[in-house]
Amino acid sequence: MNGEAVFFTLFTVSACLGALAVVVSQNVVRMAFWLIICLGSTAGLFFLADADFVGAVQLLIYVGGTLVLLVFAVMLTSSGPYVKIETSPGEVILAGMIGLLFLFMVIAAQTGIDWEGTGSRIAEASEIDPPDGTFDTGAEGHTLRPIGMSLLGLRPDRGAAASGTLFTGYLLPFEIVSVHLLVVLVGAAYLARAKRRREA
Amino acid sequence: MGDTLKTLLMIAWLLPLFGFAVEILWGPRGDRRTTRWPAWMAVACIGSGFLCSLSALLIWGSGTDWAVLQSHDSHDAGHAAPSDTHHEGVEPQEHPAHESAQQNPIRPTAPVRANDAARWHLTTAADGHASDAHQNAHTAAGHTDSPSDSAASSHGQVPLVYHGTIYRLAAFGSLILSIDYYIDSLTLVMFTMVTLIATCIHLFAIGYMSDELTDEYVDHFVHTSDGGHLHRQGRFYRFFAFLSLFCFSMLGLVLAGNIFQVFIFWELVGICSYLLIGFYTERHSASTAANKAFIMNRVGDFGFLIGLMVIWTWFGTFQFSDLFASLPRDDAGRVVTGEYGEVALALPDGSSKQIPYTLLVVAGLGVFAGCIGKSAQFPLQTWLPDAMEGPTPVSALVHSATMVAAGVYLTGRFYPMFVPEVLLVIAYIGAVTLFLAATIAVVATDIKKVLAYSTISQLGYMVLGLGVFGWAAGLFHLITHAFFKSLMFLCSGSVIHGCHHEQEMTRMGGLRHRMPITAFTMLVGVIAIAGLSIPGLIAFSGYHSKDAIVATALAFIQANPGHFLLFLLPLLTAGITAFYMFRLWFMTFAGEPRDAHVYDHAHESPWIMTLPLLILAPLAAFCATGGEDGLLYRLLAGSEPNYVAAGVSSTASGLTLPGHHAIHEVHSTAGTWALVAAIAGTLLAWVLYGTKAVRVEDMKRQMAGLHRFLTHKWYFDELYDALFVQPVHQVARFFAWIDRTLIDGIVHFAARLTVLASRWDRLFDELFIDGLVNLVGRATFSVGRSFHVVQTGRLRQYVMFIVVGVVALFAVLFTTFPR
Amino acid sequence: MQPSLSGYLLIGAVLFTCGVVCMATRRNAIGVLMGVELVLNGANVNLVAFSRYTTLGIDGQIYSLFIIVLAAAEAALALAIALNFYNNHLTIDVDKASSLKG
Repeated sequence: MNGEAVFFTLFTVSACLGALAVVVSQNVVRMAFWLIICLGSTAGLFFLADADFVGAVQLLIYVGGTLVLLVFAVMLTSSGPYVKIETSPGEVILAGMIGLLFLFMVIAAQTGIDWEGTGSRIAEASEIDPPDGTFDTGAEGHTLRPIGMSLLGLRPDRGAAASGTLFTGYLLPFEIVSVHLLVVLVGAAYLARAKRRREA
Repeated sequence: MGDTLKTLLMIAWLLPLFGFAVEILWGPRGDRRTTRWPAWMAVACIGSGFLCSLSALLIWGSGTDWAVLQSHDSHDAGHAAPSDTHHEGVEPQEHPAHESAQQNPIRPTAPVRANDAARWHLTTAADGHASDAHQNAHTAAGHTDSPSDSAASSHGQVPLVYHGTIYRLAAFGSLILSIDYYIDSLTLVMFTMVTLIATCIHLFAIGYMSDELTDEYVDHFVHTSDGGHLHRQGRFYRFFAFLSLFCFSMLGLVLAGNIFQVFIFWELVGICSYLLIGFYTERHSASTAANKAFIMNRVGDFGFLIGLMVIWTWFGTFQFSDLFASLPRDDAGRVVTGEYGEVALALPDGSSKQIPYTLLVVAGLGVFAGCIGKSAQFPLQTWLPDAMEGPTPVSALVHSATMVAAGVYLTGRFYPMFVPEVLLVIAYIGAVTLFLAATIAVVATDIKKVLAYSTISQLGYMVLGLGVFGWAAGLFHLITHAFFKSLMFLCSGSVIHGCHHEQEMTRMGGLRHRMPITAFTMLVGVIAIAGLSIPGLIAFSGYHSKDAIVATALAFIQANPGHFLLFLLPLLTAGITAFYMFRLWFMTFAGEPRDAHVYDHAHESPWIMTLPLLILAPLAAFCATGGEDGLLYRLLAGSEPNYVAAGVSSTASGLTLPGHHAIHEVHSTAGTWALVAAIAGTLLAWVLYGTKAVRVEDMKRQMAGLHRFLTHKWYFDELYDALFVQPVHQVARFFAWIDRTLIDGIVHFAARLTVLASRWDRLFDELFIDGLVNLVGRATFSVGRSFHVVQTGRLRQYVMFIVVGVVALFAVLFTTFPR
Repeated sequence: MQPSLSGYLLIGAVLFTCGVVCMATRRNAIGVLMGVELVLNGANVNLVAFSRYTTLGIDGQIYSLFIIVLAAAEAALALAIALNFYNNHLTIDVDKASSLKG
């Protein structure tokens, strides 16, 4: 049992438990706390899967940004110190059963696939080859440079096969998303700004 | 010279058009409505036109050294009997070579003479540019001039005829429509006559129409529904505008160089007369009369069109010069016919073409049909008396001197195209007309109606004269008649004006005391038209011209005894004419006043109206002085077609047309007969109306049937009503019945059928189609209604639905597609 | 327990299911939003796993990056809407937001 396995086990357990705790806990603030646990563990899992940049983004945006936002929202909308909006037990039970059914279906679908049959391909792709050691994975991460280059429209990881084809990376989606973010920023600011009720 | 003539006549022709435009555009504005300036404008235009025409005539005459006047009588002189009463003043001249004189080149071999110049002119004009053509015309005229100056002295080889194109309007293939001119002495005399008479009539109309010079004219002949009279604005300017337009049309007709142009101005004259006859358009009688004149003219114009079609189809040209040149005649003047009655035309382009002789007859009769309508000949004569509804100056201008003269003028102008059979028809039409109209005039009591019928009768004389081969005689009478008839119409206008629009002669009488100038000038006109003379001493114009016609007719029946009516009718009518004209004068001016009221209020007209009378009276009396040796006759005879003089013997149909020689031999006989008839008529009138020796009322009662027959104008209107109007009404009523019963029945049946079908269709629509649609709608609605319970608005339930849906979907997938 | 594709997928399934159940049970709008975040994370885990263990390569990671960005945007907007809703209704119970029900 090497370190990778240990960390994997650890993160798996904490992510799953965190998720369950989010479901179970009744207090919104606690839910937020458990969500932090869950999402942080997921970031760890990303690191384990060599997706170090995605993991970092996960930590930065989700844990550092979105959740803070959520907590702010909780603070702004709580009418009392410990207001709880209860759900009826019947509904909880029904939702739990349906959730279990769904989980079962997904697991069934996942296990139904013969992953081993495609094992050779999976083995080949198990390592993302750094192109000719031009960058130090220890210093720059495994995939940071390819991701950056493909967001700029270049695909060095695809080699010569991709050059000249229509598929030339993610420059256009990147631009669209950036504009999208700007629009969302403006829209959210407009929606959330405090409106003065007119005293008619 | 030709160019000068053309320019002068064009000025005379276009000035009235200019006047018309100015008067009609500027007239109705503001206070100009009540001023006399349109009248002076019109007078200025037509007066300048007269001066142009007169100078053109003088230029033409001096240019030809008055050749037509000098050498005319060479033929007559050789044979003239010195004892001839009429020709006493003429020195019998021994002419050494009268055989050659008969072929005198100065006699109008017109189409040949100026032909080379004009032909060249035409071909160049066909090349395209009007301006070029004009230039060429100029040089062409120059060519004709230069030999004329040198040759005039030697042989008199001066062109008497000038023709050419002013402006080419359009060319459709070989059909060329152009504004041409054709100038010979007839054109010039007509121009001078028309412009002179028109000037006088314009002057007269200034006085006659002066009550229109107001903004509030009361028309006492129009009764409004509330019992009052019509009040309207004065139309002084409009009257003179129409007069100007009329003069323009008439002059254009005279100047025209092709038959199609004649037709255009023919119609313009027609529309002008329509406008002027219907001048008092609010009067029902006036508008009806205008319509009648217009429609009757259309009947004749229909024939005219047929003639035009024949001419165009077979001759391929409308030009007078080309037409006259293309009909072949032998030395005796007969139209050359082939073995099967065909005529070989020599077309202007040099080719030859066969035309059936009958088509020549058709063409001639067709064109003459137009003249029948325009000159009010039998059987289209009924419009002219009704046309007296127009103002009296209009009657004078339109219905005595000019418009009705257009028909006679065209007959004369188109003379070379009339074959002898057509001429016979023309003669008979004229004879019937002159007799018929004269008889009606005897019983007419409206002063203008008498003059109207006398006009028809005199036109009949002209037509008869043309028909019996007296070309110059007919046109001679046209000119003289124009003078004395316009004079008489103006006199009657003066009477009517003086008597405050009283036209019935039965209410007049003794007016010579009240209006001496009018009475005197009228007497001049009456003597002129009656044809009275003191032989050898003095003779008024009507005597000469009527004499010429009667003489021609006598010569004609001597050659063709079967047609004796052609002499008897005019002779008889000469007496009738004298009778009814003196009857008119006696009833109006002599004797005791019949109506004190009219007499008391009668007055002499102002100077502006008597001046034209005084101008016209000497002209009416003496314009024909000298008779057939006189100025006027010789001027006209200068344009006579060259084959007329010698006469034509035994044509294909057995007619013999008398030459000048034959006519001259019987001239004194005919003249004596005519004079006797005229004197008899005059005496009868004097006995009946002058002396009161016989009571006219008794005669009327004794011959009531005849009187009624004549007062109803030979029942022509009734005849036409029965022949044409009523049948049309019957047919119309029949078709109206068919329409109302059959067609309407079918339509109504179809409508009912449609209504029935649509009712069924509506039922089907409402039950079936609407049902189907409503069913779909209702089904959709109920489905939606049943699903709306699912839309709880609760977010969490939706999530549950999604999840359950996904699970179910996958379950179905897994069970349906097992591995 | 060695990291493996099926392990990752299992984690993704669990996160996803938890998110769904969270969405289905919470009446608090912010709780629902958290469920949404969980669901998106479950999907992200799957994408990253495929990126690591199949020939998908870095495309999977880029997809997950876009998902994270869009999730952040969505969260911002959703919170703005929730705030607006709260301002108008003085509550944050999603069950109360049923004005548009059929």
